Amino acid sequence: MATITATPARTLPALLRNRAAAKLAALALVALVLVPLAHARWASGTWPDALTVDLSGPLTDTSDWIIDNRDSHPLFLYFFGHVSNAVVLCVRAVYLALLAAGWAGVTALCAFVAWRAAGVRLALGTAAAFLACGLLGMWVPTMQTLALMAVAVLASVAVGALLGLAAGLSDRLDRMLRPVLDTMQVLPAFAYLLPVVLVFGIGVPAAVLATVVYAAPPMARLTALGLRGADRGVLEAVESLGATSRQRLLTARIPLARKELLLGVNQTIMMALSMAVIASVIGAGGLGDRVYQALASVDVGAALAAGIPIVLLAVVLDRVTGAAGSGAPGAGAASTGRRAWPFALGAAVAVAVAGRLTGRTDWPDAWTVNIAEPVNRAVDWMTGHLYTGVPVIGGTADWAGRFTTWVLDPLRDGLQWLPWWSVLLVVAALAWLIGTWRTTLTAVLAMAAIGVLGVWEPSLDTLSQVLAAVAVTLVLGVATGVAAARSDRVERLLRPVLDVCQTMPQFVYLIPVVALAGVGRAPAVAAAVVYALPAVVRITAQGLRQVDPAALESARSLGATSGQQLRQVQLPLARRSLLLAVNQGVVLVLAVVIIGGLVGGGALGYDVVFGLAQGDLATGLVAGAAIVCLGLMLDRVTQPTDRRTAKGA
Amino acid sequence: MSTAHPTPETLTPPVFSVDGLWKVFGPKADRVPADPELTALAPAELRARTGCTAAVRDVSFDVRKGEVFVVMGLSGSGKSTLVRCLTRLIEPTAGTIAIDGEDVRAMDKARLRELRRHRAAMVFQHFGLLPHRTVLDNVAYGLEIQGMGRAERRAKAAEVVAKVGLEGMEQRRPGQLSGGQQQRVGLARALAVDPEVLLFDEPFSALDPLIRRDMQEEVVRLHREEGRTMVFITHDLSEALKLGDRIALMRDGRIVQLGTPEEIVGSPADDYVREFVRDVPREQVMTVRAAMRAASVEEAGSGPAVSPRATVAEAIEAVARSGGPARVMDGPRCLGVVDHEGLLDVVAGVAPARRDEVAAGDGDDARADAVPGAGEDVRADATAGGRADGVGDGRVTGAARVDAVASRRRGPAKRPDASPHPEAV
Repeated sequence: MATITATPARTLPALLRNRAAAKLAALALVALVLVPLAHARWASGTWPDALTVDLSGPLTDTSDWIIDNRDSHPLFLYFFGHVSNAVVLCVRAVYLALLAAGWAGVTALCAFVAWRAAGVRLALGTAAAFLACGLLGMWVPTMQTLALMAVAVLASVAVGALLGLAAGLSDRLDRMLRPVLDTMQVLPAFAYLLPVVLVFGIGVPAAVLATVVYAAPPMARLTALGLRGADRGVLEAVESLGATSRQRLLTARIPLARKELLLGVNQTIMMALSMAVIASVIGAGGLGDRVYQALASVDVGAALAAGIPIVLLAVVLDRVTGAAGSGAPGAGAASTGRRAWPFALGAAVAVAVAGRLTGRTDWPDAWTVNIAEPVNRAVDWMTGHLYTGVPVIGGTADWAGRFTTWVLDPLRDGLQWLPWWSVLLVVAALAWLIGTWRTTLTAVLAMAAIGVLGVWEPSLDTLSQVLAAVAVTLVLGVATGVAAARSDRVERLLRPVLDVCQTMPQFVYLIPVVALAGVGRAPAVAAAVVYALPAVVRITAQGLRQVDPAALESARSLGATSGQQLRQVQLPLARRSLLLAVNQGVVLVLAVVIIGGLVGGGALGYDVVFGLAQGDLATGLVAGAAIVCLGLMLDRVTQPTDRRTAKGA
Repeated sequence: MSTAHPTPETLTPPVFSVDGLWKVFGPKADRVPADPELTALAPAELRARTGCTAAVRDVSFDVRKGEVFVVMGLSGSGKSTLVRCLTRLIEPTAGTIAIDGEDVRAMDKARLRELRRHRAAMVFQHFGLLPHRTVLDNVAYGLEIQGMGRAERRAKAAEVVAKVGLEGMEQRRPGQLSGGQQQRVGLARALAVDPEVLLFDEPFSALDPLIRRDMQEEVVRLHREEGRTMVFITHDLSEALKLGDRIALMRDGRIVQLGTPEEIVGSPADDYVREFVRDVPREQVMTVRAAMRAASVEEAGSGPAVSPRATVAEAIEAVARSGGPARVMDGPRCLGVVDHEGLLDVVAGVAPARRDEVAAGDGDDARADAVPGAGEDVRADATAGGRADGVGDGRVTGAARVDAVASRRRGPAKRPDASPHPEAV
């Protein structure tokens, strides 16, 4: 495109031959017809009132009706009621079992499972993590979260595997499910909360079901992927031996998909943990609730005491399931492994019984370390010394304030000042340049739906935060990614950091930014940047490293400097990865910016929280729907299509 | 080759009988074989007109019991599709396939499974092993599919594993084996179900040359020991010549020539085949019959004896040793003699037309192809550098030349299934 503006001498047909220019020209033509029409009828900067549909009335009615009929309507009595009771029963049973096993029993059991699945080092790490949870005085909340997770993960894996099986075996189902699952994966976790609350009310059932809805898609996707990706040659060989389709599934397709299935379980566990923590907003209890309560009163110390167990759980769960998926510790351990299982279980039971006999099922109070106070003192000190007035560089709060005044405010005001149709046009132009007319249409419709829902202003507010965060994330992420791709040492240093960062639930990121910068929009943006950064860095570095070595070598042989290699070979060839990094960055940033509503991010996230807190489901649901639309729009705008990249390659 | 198993061509019914087989990929594929106008089109035109690709076009052949039937062609010639059509791994578009007289295309699912389980087993280019199973369980897999009990199928699999030379590796996984070993597992898996026919789809193309030769010899050995019917797909001409009792040469989905290796090399059906076989060492493929002439009375009484199935290379050796013509002996009967000239003519590729008593089946084709114009091509192509002038300046230097050729040919390995040494007959 740059070349086009640089050479105005080109004729129109030549211009049209350029795909990008042709698309823009077509779009301009459409705009030329539609904009004056729209402007004449609904001339206003913001979304015209005439085009909004007020849903709060019907939605309030619906939620009232559900609340009124929850105890009487057959749908609730015979279906949702049973579901809800079953969930409560399961979670309660697991929770009681965990408590009955006592801290020693649970720690021993988890350590032995980790030992069998992933080796001695991770077993020690697991034991240490659980002991740390107890030490921080968080044993009971940890067990609550674990119980909720256990039920949710089992349900997610079952549901996901069944859906995946169906999609893996039937092409039609696959075509139907795939876009739905793809879309579900890009939506922020917050969007799932309200619909389940509408049906189940606030409480454990809603939390578990929201978690299942959030965590099942990766399992379904990966199951289907594994079943479909099975080596065609093997399947043909199996068929040539006269296998029935059942035999083919059981003896070949499922075993061949083992890796994907275990990866699916891993991802499901990680997403379930992330959601189980966020679901504290709708009554999940446990660790997330502690963080939520602490953040609400800006008690960073307490938040950290609950946040550390979350991180430890996340890292342990990820490593253990990941190691189990990548093929066990020792290759030869397969035969000895089976014999060791009963032994390990027996040992765990023995420890649990011993714990009970000595009367030590509950974590002893004397063994807890209260970190909240020292942390809060440290935070107070930071507030006193680093917040503001540090010579030359200013303080963290100053930075946050300046970022808000100089970046966020102008961006938000600018977006809100723009005529509504021009926002749609910009969305359309971007989506069409990067993707196809299909993605363009979805993006524009999603954006228009936001207007129709009547939340144009807060959505643009959220959008401004997302844009600012994405810009910062991309600058930092791509720069770090380039550095990591060019230097092995940087990559070695970064890898463990990225590994840990990528496993942490979104919620946890709010804690440090609140400590450093208080509440407001800037901390929300900062949390989003920190959350999205690892993925962007990783994808960028991977993309650059995967560039065809032959192309690089030929560039080097022609005497290209390393800068030339980067600009002219690596970056263009890694285009696909870079676009993916943008897409992922946008999706991840949106998820956290929405959660930022909890720490003063305002806008849509706040509406959801407000709706939940006030029982005003209509406001929350509309905001939730707007989040879905925003997520859809942002994903589609940045989604490079396979067809296009195939052509470009 | 037919040396080990003389094929009673007309007595037993063919194992596979394929007639007018078509496989067309693309939209509304059915109409293509049915429409004579479309069938006449060249592949590119057909694709342009209908969007269809005909992978197999009107192919007919019989596979006789106990023979190694090789389908040979370059990639894209339709040979892999053809072999998959035999057990309907790919559904044929038109034509008939019969196994032991039973119509394969009319089989229902259960009957087809029975065919795949017991009657025809396949060996694949990329092995198609189950990576999560041990070698033993991979070999036993076909039996497991049939519903055989664990102990029984493992015992049987262990036998077959030993037969293909993989003892001691039963508990390894395919990922821990080399390519050649993996293909032995694939072969064992096919053998374990004791099929009537073995189908090979380019089984050795993915292997290194040395391993490939080992595996080819393994197949020859198995065939010699068990006499199982085999259909063998390959793109490697030397492999086809080495293994095949008969070879079907495919191009663009059609069979362009079907015959014994000797017929293919000795009397190519068209320029495409001729181009294909032009670098083949003819003396290794052609039998002495091609070089034979009638014996005079005194010749019939003395001189070294060679079998009628001996190759020209072997006869050259015998002639070079004795210095005189060699007798072609079928038991006590003398069929004729071969001398320097006759053998050299075969090596040079000018032989078949001159000799009326050529024993090859397609005598007519042979003569038609050896018209002078074509003959010159063949001579120039088939004779490498120095040998050409030996032919050119005729009979005087002939003896010396044959000596040279013979001494050069004495070293290299004979075909593994080669007939007994000439003198021994």
